[in-house]
Amino acid sequence: MKEKPVIRFERFALDNGLRVVAAHDASAPVVAVNLWYNVGSRNEREGRTGFAHLFEHMMFQGSEHVPENAHFALIEKVGGSLNGSTWLDRTNYFETLPSHHLELGLWLESDRLGWLLPAMTQEKLDNQREVVKNERRWRVDNQPYGDWDEQLQEMMYPPDHPYHHSVIGSMDDLDAATLEDVEEFFRTYYTPNNAVLTIAGDFNPATLPDLVERYFGEIPAGPPVPPIPGRTQLEPLLGEEIRRVVEQDVTLPRIYLAFRIPRYGSDEFYTAAVIAQMLGEGKGALLYRHLIRTGLAQDVVAYAFPIVVGAAMMVAWTTAMPGIDVGSLERALLDAVAELRNASDADVTRAIRMIEASRLRDLQRVDERADTLSMFTMLFDDPDRINTEIERICAVTTNDVRAFAECFLGVNNRALLEYVPRKS
Amino acid sequence: MSTLDRSTPPAPAPLREFRFPRIRRRVLDNGMTVLHAVHGIAPIVTIHFVADAGAVREGNARAGLAELTANLLETGTASKDAQQIAVELETLGAQLETAVSWDATSLSLTVPAEHAPTALAILGEILLQPAFVSSEFERLRQEQLGQIVRRKQDPRLLAADVMGRFFYAPESPYSRPLIGTTETVSALGQHDVIEFYHDRFGPATSAVLLVGAVDERLLAAVEHTFGAWESAAKPGAAVPTNPATDRTTVYIVDRPGSVQSELRIGHVGLARHHPDFFPVVVMNAILGGLFTSRLNLNLREKHGFTYGARSAFAFRRYPGPFVMQAAVANDVTARAVEESLREVDLLRDNGATIDEVIAARDFIIGVQPLELQTTEQLAVRLAEIFTFDLPDDYFDHFRRGIAEVTPDDVKRVAVEHIHPDRFAIVVVGSAEHVEKPLRDLDLGPVLTHRIND
Repeated sequence: MKEKPVIRFERFALDNGLRVVAAHDASAPVVAVNLWYNVGSRNEREGRTGFAHLFEHMMFQGSEHVPENAHFALIEKVGGSLNGSTWLDRTNYFETLPSHHLELGLWLESDRLGWLLPAMTQEKLDNQREVVKNERRWRVDNQPYGDWDEQLQEMMYPPDHPYHHSVIGSMDDLDAATLEDVEEFFRTYYTPNNAVLTIAGDFNPATLPDLVERYFGEIPAGPPVPPIPGRTQLEPLLGEEIRRVVEQDVTLPRIYLAFRIPRYGSDEFYTAAVIAQMLGEGKGALLYRHLIRTGLAQDVVAYAFPIVVGAAMMVAWTTAMPGIDVGSLERALLDAVAELRNASDADVTRAIRMIEASRLRDLQRVDERADTLSMFTMLFDDPDRINTEIERICAVTTNDVRAFAECFLGVNNRALLEYVPRKS
Repeated sequence: MSTLDRSTPPAPAPLREFRFPRIRRRVLDNGMTVLHAVHGIAPIVTIHFVADAGAVREGNARAGLAELTANLLETGTASKDAQQIAVELETLGAQLETAVSWDATSLSLTVPAEHAPTALAILGEILLQPAFVSSEFERLRQEQLGQIVRRKQDPRLLAADVMGRFFYAPESPYSRPLIGTTETVSALGQHDVIEFYHDRFGPATSAVLLVGAVDERLLAAVEHTFGAWESAAKPGAAVPTNPATDRTTVYIVDRPGSVQSELRIGHVGLARHHPDFFPVVVMNAILGGLFTSRLNLNLREKHGFTYGARSAFAFRRYPGPFVMQAAVANDVTARAVEESLREVDLLRDNGATIDEVIAARDFIIGVQPLELQTTEQLAVRLAEIFTFDLPDDYFDHFRRGIAEVTPDDVKRVAVEHIHPDRFAIVVVGSAEHVEKPLRDLDLGPVLTHRIND
């Protein structure tokens, strides 16, 4: 590619430990406010799976100076958009606003970081518990193959590893959550020293540091954050093939194939990211060629999870065409993956060019820029990876792909989760 | 620094003016429309082709034909096979997205600007010299049949696919799934695809939209690629959109084992050109378009029945559906229906407050620049201008149209365009759990169907 646009930013920190990244670009009158908290489902204790996500819902229920429902209402009424999400390693909160309303975002985010607990009530908790249980039904229990991540995480990570359980958690654990849990979780993890704030888009760079100090500066630092519970180190390989067959009310079999891979941020991870692209993205992809063009499958997906505790995983999945049995699909899937040991330059180049172009497309959005900067600051203390990570992708060679396939994509490092129609 | 008063939201800074990007139009010698706009700072271009080849044009007996034709286009040209087309485009960094709606077929891609002319040439070959290879036809037909099977497994997709038949009379194309049925897709032949292509794809029925780092060289390439295209394809005629029923009826689509019910409550709505478009958009935002809409605050934030409830008017070329939707737990299904209907009655009887109307208007107006950050987003807007035959400066006046909506307008259009006496109340879920409570509501006849009925 000719010219790579560079995303420029400033970074600073407040006395209370809040890390701040500010990426100015006034090309549109739009600004994004994004907060990453270094807490996710990996931090949950036994008996409280799903709590990090339930807590995220409570963050939208108002705070001392923000009445119930006002968080959404105030942002919507100025034409902003907002949400939050919880994942294995982190919880993020974000709003995109017409830029003259930047302070509204700072006011709302600082109020719930500094003054959440006075607004918490049992009624709000009970209501959001029901909402989240319905989210679980919607995403997991009422969806074909909906529990795949729950199943796969159980298979890929040992019981004492923090990725062993899924983000959404169990109904029983959601039922068990109390207001005391909300308070304890808040005091433990929702502290300025456990957060990154990014502001991207149209703002006044000269006054921004003062503005952030004004809203966030008086929030006291919290105690040191406890370490992630359980075992956080893993062997580089699974050491065996793990298989699970799940009977469900589905007509078409689906296979999930997972491999343990080095954590996000490592050189090998970027090879895995290129491999996932080679396998699953676009109609020129290997799995498309071997499974869809041959009439065996109707969809293919491959994805390297950008997660950092112990080891990450790469997952590919595919749904059978009617009349195709799970055994034939599995053979074709494994054959396609085995081809990576003889990967061609053309396939590697295709994948890298696609990733490069998709970065350009994604980073058009201020919210995407802000979230990416928060992520790199939180995970690697290096926001400039928003500019430099692509170089590591581009540096992946055909030999790297072949060597990675040899080392990580073999029988002793894979899990196969197969959904098959229930025998009636 | 003075102590911050946190008790009220901060005042906004001075408004920065926002202008909708300047849209330029060119008409090629053969009559083909080109709309283009320089947009954004990324060195990329979105190339978006759109044709009046939506599913309304295929005829009910050939349901699924638009989808099959669109997918078949990129599987071979005079000089390239399917794999070559995919690999060549993807090696440029472009991923071709083919989409079929009721109104249109589109093929679009976004590519680094330096490769835009090459990508455009390939797109032109796909559109002007499709090979329609029979082996690819058969593969894609089977794939579409497979997707029909898969969609029936999934309660949301199933609800989307069956809803139409309870809203629209059988003669309306909107009564059946966009992707077609097992019966109609099984009956499609390669000659149907070729006929549909010649009938629907041509300079008089389609447009090329260019957004991003657009330059004269690319515009010249468009002229070169599409300027000599000849085709007899003509704009299509109106299709029937009459309703399935004239009285409120409950339709249960039994999905044994469901732990939630997918609710779809509504009826035939309005066309994109309806003169009440602006007040209806504002009214719907209040009812179910916003997170803080009445439906969501009631069903989610007050009762915890659902992860989310919303409503929408699908403004198509011909009157699309109005629908309120939510996924609700089995044991609260009937209550969620009741609460949804209550919100409709309240809005029709009492209208909305001035504060609600202002909040909805300001959201719709304020969110416009947020939704125009990418070249793809603007291209979709240009496609709207072409498909619905809107003036090129339509979006310059959009904000004024919204700003002029009053509480009286909101009440009037709620009364005129939402009809509680002829709702189709579609419930995809476990009949065993929901049928009796729904009957007890006594809303009208309750009819239970099996998934494959």
